[in-house]
Amino acid sequence: MAASVRHLLKPWTPSLCLVRWSRYNPYYLDPDPSKDACVPESEISPEQKELQELKTVRPIKAALSSDTSSSFNDPLISKFINMMMQDGNKILARGIMTQTLESIKRKQVEKYHKSPAAKKEEIECNPYTIFHLGLENCKPIIGLASVQKGGKSYQVPVPLTDNRRRFLAMKWMITECRDNKHRRTHMYEKLSQELLAAFANEGNVVKRKHDLHKMAEANRAYAHYRWW
Amino acid sequence: MTSGRECFPTENGDLHEDVKRHYRKTMSGFVIQDKVAKLLSRQNGKPVLRPIKPLALKNEVASRRMKKGEATCVTEMSLLMACWKLNDFNNAVCSKEVSAFYTCVEKAQSKAKGKQGTQD
Repeated sequence: MAASVRHLLKPWTPSLCLVRWSRYNPYYLDPDPSKDACVPESEISPEQKELQELKTVRPIKAALSSDTSSSFNDPLISKFINMMMQDGNKILARGIMTQTLESIKRKQVEKYHKSPAAKKEEIECNPYTIFHLGLENCKPIIGLASVQKGGKSYQVPVPLTDNRRRFLAMKWMITECRDNKHRRTHMYEKLSQELLAAFANEGNVVKRKHDLHKMAEANRAYAHYRWW
Repeated sequence: MTSGRECFPTENGDLHEDVKRHYRKTMSGFVIQDKVAKLLSRQNGKPVLRPIKPLALKNEVASRRMKKGEATCVTEMSLLMACWKLNDFNNAVCSKEVSAFYTCVEKAQSKAKGKQGTQD
């Protein structure tokens, strides 16, 4: 009885201590994990010099555990992995991503060896470039925002920020692969198919982007309802 | 303050000593704090003030009503849409309009950020 009551006398401390908070004072700078080669003093512009001096003086946020200084660290792919992750299972999400890149490479190399010599140079074998360009082809240029005017809400064409566009492209890709494909195929298989199609400007994700553009074009009369 | 001559400035162009002393007394926080304490006290019947938040000024002023702006980059958008309509929404063909639209959007965003910075 005394032993069970005794823990109530201790002050409560959290069992996990927060190392990196999501809300830092804006005075803190972002960490830069890349290993830059040492550039000689003469070649640095004055703004770069100022930036370097600022980094030595100002406080810097703690780095995330997913930031690496390796040359394989790609922020776009890290973001995609985070968006694919469910219930914090980063290992599974990363595994799917590596399998996707591998299957893209395999398909492209197969295509390369099967094609005649003239067409060999056109085939892109690097899965990272395919991923980047495929995602670029999925990004919408104009979005729609709901604006209320005179009691009625209209879908107004609106320019989107870069972050929003990137997010929409990734979200569409992931939902497309999760929902609209055959149940028994693996996620990496579905993703590789969809990414290769997006690289060639075909497929459902690019179709969805075109649908959004068509809606925006149809509603172009309401463009003046925006006030920003 | 005995005679009315304290209202007028002295030969040096400075205020009268009594007037300055009076100003110093009111400018100091003590007089105001005493008055606030009197308003909050229960010694003379019910207190006049019953504040729910601390009686202190905030560091900022309440924002004025925003001026209603107008839609930015409408011309670029309409050009882009015309190009799309002609070329069946092919972005490769309309790359010039697309880049013009992006530059316009960036300019508008930086302008809006600068304006927000000066306002706050």
